[in-house]
Amino acid sequence: MLEQSGFIDVRVGPPADTFGGAGGESKARLFEVFGYAFLARKPK
Amino acid sequence: MGEALPVDAVALRDEVRAKYRDVAVNPHGGFHFHTGRSLARRLGYEVAVVARMPESAIEAFAGVGNPFSLGALNPGERVVDLGSGGGFDCFVAAEQVGPNGRVVGVDMTEEMLDRSRTAAAVMGLRNVEFRQGVIEELPIDDGSADVVIRNGVINLCADKRRVFAEVMRVLKPGGRLQFADIANGKEIPARALRNIDLWTD
Repeated sequence: MLEQSGFIDVRVGPPADTFGGAGGESKARLFEVFGYAFLARKPK
Repeated sequence: MGEALPVDAVALRDEVRAKYRDVAVNPHGGFHFHTGRSLARRLGYEVAVVARMPESAIEAFAGVGNPFSLGALNPGERVVDLGSGGGFDCFVAAEQVGPNGRVVGVDMTEEMLDRSRTAAAVMGLRNVEFRQGVIEELPIDDGSADVVIRNGVINLCADKRRVFAEVMRVLKPGGRLQFADIANGKEIPARALRNIDLWTD
């Protein structure tokens, strides 16, 4: 969706276990939900 | 005609506002997500930065990742934080851009704005301000930002394309969007996607 919106040079970082040990952990595990860092650039 | 949204965008926004009002008022209240200093450590923020942050500036932090992990900000940059919440990411950004930079946090929740403005005053920060608004219609001038950051916000917006279009509007040519958000490896059933409660719980 980032590229469809016009962004370029898109990078994605490694997954973070955002919900591990929290109340939402079981639901996160069910759908393999993790946190990620993203970097993208608007063209010049 | 635009793409059909899975839920009503305004109803979802109201639900999100109510949820994060609770976080602002009672950040240790016990939510389905972690909050505060332990969360920041868990997500890999720089240890020294987390350690020196006053409790009032970090206790309502409810991010999902580290938007600075793929690159720090540069001194002097103009930064906009979408859904700035209790202000933690703005305070990290303010330190990175320094006194010649500027950070504007935008949030729709009055209680979060009160919290972040109070924390900024406690920290004596002069290069940070907080504005009330929604991220689909940012109170930010066209082409004015070097960097847009956010943390765990777009997953709570029904119309993601509109948010990205708004980010594109406020960024300068060549500007960066660096953010953290959640993504699922397994497909979520359509019926669940239409259930607003599941977006915030």
